[in-house]
Amino acid sequence: MEEQFPLRVELIERIDWFISLRWLAVVGTLLTIVVVNFYLPGLLLQGPLIAVTTAIALYNFLFLLYARRLRAHGPTAMRLRQSTVFVYVQIALDLIALTTLLHFAGGVENPFALFFVFHMIIASILLSPAASFLVAVLASSLFAAMALLEYRGLVPHYNLVGLVNPDLYHHGTYVGASVLVMTTTLFLVVYMTSSISARLRARTDELLEVSRSHEAKSRELAELNTKLQKLDAARTQFMVTVTHELRAPVSTIYSCLDLVLGGFASREKEQQILERAQQRTTELLDLVKDLLELTGARQAEVQVEEAETIQLADVLRNVEELMRVEAENKDLFLSVDIVPDMPLVRAKPDHIKAIWTNLISNAIKYTEAGGIVVASLTHNPDYAVGTVRDTGIGIAADDLSKIFEEFYRTANARAICPQGTGVGLAIVKRMIENYGGKIWVESEPARGSKFIFMLPRARP
Amino acid sequence: MTTKGKVLIIDDDPDFVEVVRTALETDGFEVFSAADGSQGLALMRQEKPDLVFLDVMMAHPTEGVDVSEAMMEDPDLRGIRVVMITAITDTQYVGDFPTDRYLHVDQFLSKPVPLPELLELTNRILKKK
Repeated sequence: MEEQFPLRVELIERIDWFISLRWLAVVGTLLTIVVVNFYLPGLLLQGPLIAVTTAIALYNFLFLLYARRLRAHGPTAMRLRQSTVFVYVQIALDLIALTTLLHFAGGVENPFALFFVFHMIIASILLSPAASFLVAVLASSLFAAMALLEYRGLVPHYNLVGLVNPDLYHHGTYVGASVLVMTTTLFLVVYMTSSISARLRARTDELLEVSRSHEAKSRELAELNTKLQKLDAARTQFMVTVTHELRAPVSTIYSCLDLVLGGFASREKEQQILERAQQRTTELLDLVKDLLELTGARQAEVQVEEAETIQLADVLRNVEELMRVEAENKDLFLSVDIVPDMPLVRAKPDHIKAIWTNLISNAIKYTEAGGIVVASLTHNPDYAVGTVRDTGIGIAADDLSKIFEEFYRTANARAICPQGTGVGLAIVKRMIENYGGKIWVESEPARGSKFIFMLPRARP
Repeated sequence: MTTKGKVLIIDDDPDFVEVVRTALETDGFEVFSAADGSQGLALMRQEKPDLVFLDVMMAHPTEGVDVSEAMMEDPDLRGIRVVMITAITDTQYVGDFPTDRYLHVDQFLSKPVPLPELLELTNRILKKK
């Protein structure tokens, strides 16, 4: 219904035009009466004619007030219905008024009977084809009634004295022919004007449809554009951070070599300095490796087809073997806890290994000697659930939301381990989310951390 | 053993500190180092160095600037010469670096610092004292 409002707004505008037209008609009628009376005095029955014209002026004034009131309300379905009824009422009153004027000015003798056609045209423009036909029926009936009633002498006839044969109204053939011609004309006019009007409306509807879909597309484009801009900004940010992370170690390595080559250091010192430079080189290589994994994980959507159906528990046991030495070196207790009947998941084994390795190695790294690291596996109806818990340094509330961001390292983490790319958790998160899973962390400073991830069960 | 002067290096990169320390010590300076701003300021008050090499960006993007401002506000430290070392001249942080305020800085150097230039600069600044 809403779509019709802009279209049918024309109806409400046209009502104003219709009312203005009627003022013209009133003026025109009065002028005609005055002029005719001047040139052909006694021809017309002034009294009734002027009375009817005054009545028209009066009801037009009422129409004006009602139209103002209608417009005050916003466009609603009710207003549309009321406007349509309003138009019917106007046309009906006009037809009655016209018929009365004709009656007092000669009836079938009066050529002004042609004016019925105006109302047919107006009805076809403002109303539906069906309604317009009803208007044609009303007009024809009124004209026929007037002609017939006068013909039968049931109402008086007012002859246009001196202008038309006073017996014409009594002439059966003439009256019949007039009524027939009038009726046919009215219906034909309605038919023709309605078709044109309907076609015009259809075209306007089409145009509106096109314009609306165009608007929708524009909005879509604007949204896509914003998304693209955000992605672009994120990518630039990433590149800035990467170059920054690369720059510091590289310039330090340069300075170390500069020192040795420039002869600024003693023999013993040279060895030390070169070892430091090599250490930084190793760090850089780790960073490059992590970055490669990160960009690889970014493209993981492409690789999901290469996923296999695997058992998380097997990978975990594998990783446990590797991590055990590291844990013992730091005097930590590493334990693995797997519930029976673990479901299978679909993923690349390398990715799962990376996830476990990353989480467990982090736990080991950030837990002091004598602490505990526990990796466990359980499941719920839809997911396999993995957990890595530690009694380590924990994560502050501010850091919790940022910890999965690329290159993000907490101050505490930096204190314990100055080297570290901050990329590991970002990689893990990306991998898990690519498989349709979720990862999150619960932690408090000095109270340890608990990383939990879920991966969807493999559908059989 | 007399030294040509006392130099303090404030930088969170231990390898860079080691490189500069070696170069300066070989050239006859006494070198102290600190890994962050507050440690650096404490060491300054304790040892009263003649020159401070100050890394701009440490844990905080403009930590070096904060240190230099603290130095300006402390009458004991105001006389110490400062050389700022920056690796941020053409990155996004340039916007954070206030260039319109008067900074208590003799010179800016950019990493990697060419060592001959570093030594020449140190000698020049401390000779003036």
